[in-house]
Amino acid sequence: MDKLGNILHSLNFFYPEIALTLTFFILLLVDLFFRKSKHLLPVLSLIGYVITGYFSFTTPNASGFLFSTGMANVGLYITDSFAFYFKLIILLSLIYTVLFSILSKEINESTENRGEYYALLASFGLGMFLLTSSTDLITIYLAFEMVSLSSYILAGFTRKVPRSAEASLKYIIFGAVASGVMIYGISILYGLTGTTNIYLINFYLANQNYNTLTLVIAGLMIIGGFGFKISMAPFHFWTPDVYEGAPITITAVLSVASKAAGFAILIRFLKVAFVDYAATNLQASLWAILPGFQWNDILAVLSVLTMTLGNLAALWQNNLKRMLAYSSIAHAGYMLSGFVILDNQGILAILIYFAIYLFMNLGAFFIVMLISDKLGSEDIDDYTGLGYKAPFLTVSLTIFLVSLTGIPPTAGFIAKLYLFAALVNTGWLWLALVGVVNSVISLYYYMRVVKNMFLRESISTYEQKIELGHVLISFSLLIPTLVFGVYFKPLIELAEKSIRIFGF
Amino acid sequence: MITQHIYFAVLFPLIGFLINGLIGYKIKNEKVIGWIGSGFVGLSFLVSLLSFFEVTGLNVAERKIIVPIFQWISIESFNVSFAYLVDPLSLVLALVVTGVGFLIHVYSIGYMQGDKGFWRFFAYLNLFIFMMMNLVLADNFVLMFLGWEGVGLCSYLLIGFWYDRKFNGSTTADAAKKAFIVNRIGDFGFLLGMFLIYKTFGSLNFNEVFTIAEKVPLPEATATLITLLLFLGATGKSAQIPLYVWLPDAMAGPTPVSALIHAATMVTAGVYMVSRASVLFVQSEITMMVIAAIGAATAIFAASMGLVQNDIKKILAYSTISQLGYMFLAAGVGAFTASIFHLMTHAFFKALLFLGAGSVIHALHEEQNIKNMGGLKNHLPVTYKTFLIASLAIAGIPPLSGFFSKDEILWETFAHGHSFLFVIGLITAFMTAFYVFRLFNLTFENKSRYPSHIHPHESPKIMTIPLIILAILSIIGGFVGMPKVFVGESGNFFYNWLKPVYEPSETYLFNVPLYTHSTEIVLMIISVIVALSGIFLARYVYLENIKPIDWLVTKFGKLYNLLFNKYYVDKVYDLLFVEPIVKGSERILWKFSDVKLVDGFINSVGEFFIEIGGLIRKIQTGVTQFYALIMIFGIILIIFMLLI
Amino acid sequence: MIPLSFYLILSAAFFSIGVIGVLTRRNAIIVFMCIEMMLNAVNLSFIAFASFFGDSSGQVFVFFVMAVAAAEVAIGLAIIIALFRNKLTINIDEINILKW
Repeated sequence: MDKLGNILHSLNFFYPEIALTLTFFILLLVDLFFRKSKHLLPVLSLIGYVITGYFSFTTPNASGFLFSTGMANVGLYITDSFAFYFKLIILLSLIYTVLFSILSKEINESTENRGEYYALLASFGLGMFLLTSSTDLITIYLAFEMVSLSSYILAGFTRKVPRSAEASLKYIIFGAVASGVMIYGISILYGLTGTTNIYLINFYLANQNYNTLTLVIAGLMIIGGFGFKISMAPFHFWTPDVYEGAPITITAVLSVASKAAGFAILIRFLKVAFVDYAATNLQASLWAILPGFQWNDILAVLSVLTMTLGNLAALWQNNLKRMLAYSSIAHAGYMLSGFVILDNQGILAILIYFAIYLFMNLGAFFIVMLISDKLGSEDIDDYTGLGYKAPFLTVSLTIFLVSLTGIPPTAGFIAKLYLFAALVNTGWLWLALVGVVNSVISLYYYMRVVKNMFLRESISTYEQKIELGHVLISFSLLIPTLVFGVYFKPLIELAEKSIRIFGF
Repeated sequence: MITQHIYFAVLFPLIGFLINGLIGYKIKNEKVIGWIGSGFVGLSFLVSLLSFFEVTGLNVAERKIIVPIFQWISIESFNVSFAYLVDPLSLVLALVVTGVGFLIHVYSIGYMQGDKGFWRFFAYLNLFIFMMMNLVLADNFVLMFLGWEGVGLCSYLLIGFWYDRKFNGSTTADAAKKAFIVNRIGDFGFLLGMFLIYKTFGSLNFNEVFTIAEKVPLPEATATLITLLLFLGATGKSAQIPLYVWLPDAMAGPTPVSALIHAATMVTAGVYMVSRASVLFVQSEITMMVIAAIGAATAIFAASMGLVQNDIKKILAYSTISQLGYMFLAAGVGAFTASIFHLMTHAFFKALLFLGAGSVIHALHEEQNIKNMGGLKNHLPVTYKTFLIASLAIAGIPPLSGFFSKDEILWETFAHGHSFLFVIGLITAFMTAFYVFRLFNLTFENKSRYPSHIHPHESPKIMTIPLIILAILSIIGGFVGMPKVFVGESGNFFYNWLKPVYEPSETYLFNVPLYTHSTEIVLMIISVIVALSGIFLARYVYLENIKPIDWLVTKFGKLYNLLFNKYYVDKVYDLLFVEPIVKGSERILWKFSDVKLVDGFINSVGEFFIEIGGLIRKIQTGVTQFYALIMIFGIILIIFMLLI
Repeated sequence: MIPLSFYLILSAAFFSIGVIGVLTRRNAIIVFMCIEMMLNAVNLSFIAFASFFGDSSGQVFVFFVMAVAAAEVAIGLAIIIALFRNKLTINIDEINILKW
């Protein structure tokens, strides 16, 4: 096949990304001409995302390599069911973010350039879409930077608020260092193997001799970059500051979508580049790692570190947004522990966890946004006694927090159940125990909020006026959080279909 | 096939709960809330009834329909499906729960009128029915346990419903807490039992477990352990010795709640569970003995405490415990049919007694002490008549329902060779007749003793009509289970209906009744005489001549005090369990180690984590370069770790 | 001909200087320049490898890194300006209202 034909053929599988790109451009253009209109841009974004979703569903999931480089039978990009699953999560959280933004006082009042906001959200989404499917270090790096650059601006979008600008600066400095370290790691890996395609890297590593130390250093540097995205310790330090400073809609999408993209590429990179095809015990569900790399031991330590640091620091937080930031670090730790198994069962648990995490975390952020828009504060002490003044919001928030803790019958319990069951089944009992202890610790800070809302006399003059939009969005998040706690079979089936990474 | 859609019977109360729970506070009209709540339970009853008729049309062998909803949990070999089991046993329970539940819902519209938590009340009640239906229709232990915990939750919510009211010197919240803690002990047993079942059978599905258990007898020790643990769960929920102490306190809740949850339905869950797992229980003679003994002991023990109480709801609470004891006695001797039969009739007349008591309490403006009642006969005619019917039924006067069910229990106990337990049952029957007519006489007969400014009047129709319906059921409810000695084997509809459920367990029961019909008739006459003598004694001493009682009280003051103070069991429990844990940790351990061990340990662990957290968050200095520094050093550190 | 390792050592030294600069300098603009230095060190090693392998993908990579670096700096300067308007300082260690 000639190169042009190959590219044209590849475009057939590239419709979702094209749709997102067009959404981005249209939003930019429309913003130029229709500055006055308030709802046009979000509606256009939503339409764009829905179309993207439509194409994601209709595009076949096992395309083979796209944009082949010609020489070998590998390419820059791939669409498989694994990527599709993460794209769904990313798309859903983008849609929710747009809906949140329409209702957010923060976004609507503190900036005049809302057009750029929605356009950047689209480019942010496009970056994440690309990141989940990239199979070449070049595409990985470019997609990674696309996500980062968009999110730097978004985090500082309400730039007149000092803490937002500060968050943005911290984010970009930390992010630039992390990506600098990552790209240096990539250059070493390129020097070691002579190729940038992760499938070819695997082929090289399996068949040639190489210096193990160099490979470990390069691999760690690259993982450091991905670890920055998923806020894995010790690369997580930016998370609380940025989450607290950024507009809450952006915090919400960062905590779910950008983490999902980070996890997708972390799993894909480690699994594709370091799996040992030749290993005799390579079964359908197991995958052996190349000899000489005990990635799982490193990951186990990092996951314990991540969840413990996140949970312990969260105990002290008075700002609800910051508390949720630490809690999201802890959740990244839980999910990372599923990856430690290096087994499809663990990946299945991560996929399930992510879908549930999407609903409960976005839900918690949404309610916090609604309350703090009215209350003008995110301080937990200011939530005192709100339980009787805003029963709907506070009960919803309670359900989301209970689910984040992982107490039945909420979906959060199912997420943790599958995760810890996978750990126990594969002999990582101690890790499961650490996870359980951490969940118990997290109970304290989540329930402190609930206690403040319901068991104390009210002090504020808060008045609630519930709008239909608030109720509808809350319900669309509440229902999955509760229903998946009891009826989770379809979710499991979807996740089971999605653990297939191309080539395995 | 409506039976294939039995889940509607479960779903309707949930819909009611969602409507009332979510937008109930916006609905200003109480009638609307009340009828939404009642209506959905009524629909649920309708579905159950239609299924019932459909199942009666089936062959006996086909009367076991599993309605799968979805595969619930599937991790490795651990499979639990969300499925409902429709068989004669679960249908009886479903009909009782929704039928009596519906009547009590309707009654509550009148009873709870004007309460500020009106919508909350109906939401909780509907949630309760939903959970209870899950419990009785479950086709596996996990789903059953879910319902089991769910009804417990609703029970606590409703006991503490009037959280701002005082109750027995403490608050209703304390009563709810007590119920919560005591039930945890029982649930712990149930859970352990479930684990053991899974370990033994590799499944928690009723069908699979019971089929294996039917074909392959368990080792005696395993069977005993499993069933005793399950029974521990039953003693918690069904308020048997030693875990009965929460039920009298549970009367802190509104009276319809006492009628529905703490008399007619939830507390019978333990009996249902034993009956459902009968094929496991019959495999352990020890457990059967324990159940029968505890049932009989609870029956007489609770009845004796009921003799001297003065709170109208407390008397009924002890009566409930006592009647539940009867049901366990029946189960323990292997007469599961009799135990379910009594469960059903008891639901009718005990709900009626409670609702009647509610009507009285309502009329007297929240007065619950029977010493301050009296003479209500003329003011509350409907309540009076229905209460009389219920009292006669519980006392066991033919041909009311209570007679048939209680007599069958006594007869089966005797026939299975437990003559000692039979005598205890008989004495309990006497006490029952006595205390219930003491209550009746002090409430309705004689002169009024309540303050003269109160002018009691009959409750509205919405409350009296459920009373009348329940009264009718209390009268005719027993005819479905006429003694075989009168109508023959085939005439006992109830027995034949439940027969297929218990057939597997019957192979394990050895002692087949050996006595002749004449013996049964003689025993029947004896028990009627005993009941009548209890009634007449109560009438004599409380209407004609109170002296014997006064004499007894002075003569046996200590015994009276013992009964009045409920054998000091609450105090003993406080002394044995509560005090050592709460106070001992402070007092004794304090002296030795300067640490509050029991209290302190948990706290200090918590404080430890919080302190560590305080240190950890200090790393987050706010200076970005410091973060980057840690990142770089982190990478270097990991590389060093790998090198070493 | 200069051996590959010379380039790599230069690149590593360059990279380390950049990292140290990022970690120690207070002025945000200088920090950004140091980040640029890190990226250029990476570019150097890419070019060296590409020439060593005779493979073009390393060189392609360099173009992309340069483009990304330019975008990063543009955004970074914009953020610095926004922050300067708020706080009248661009010293990183003084920008820490968000902490703990």
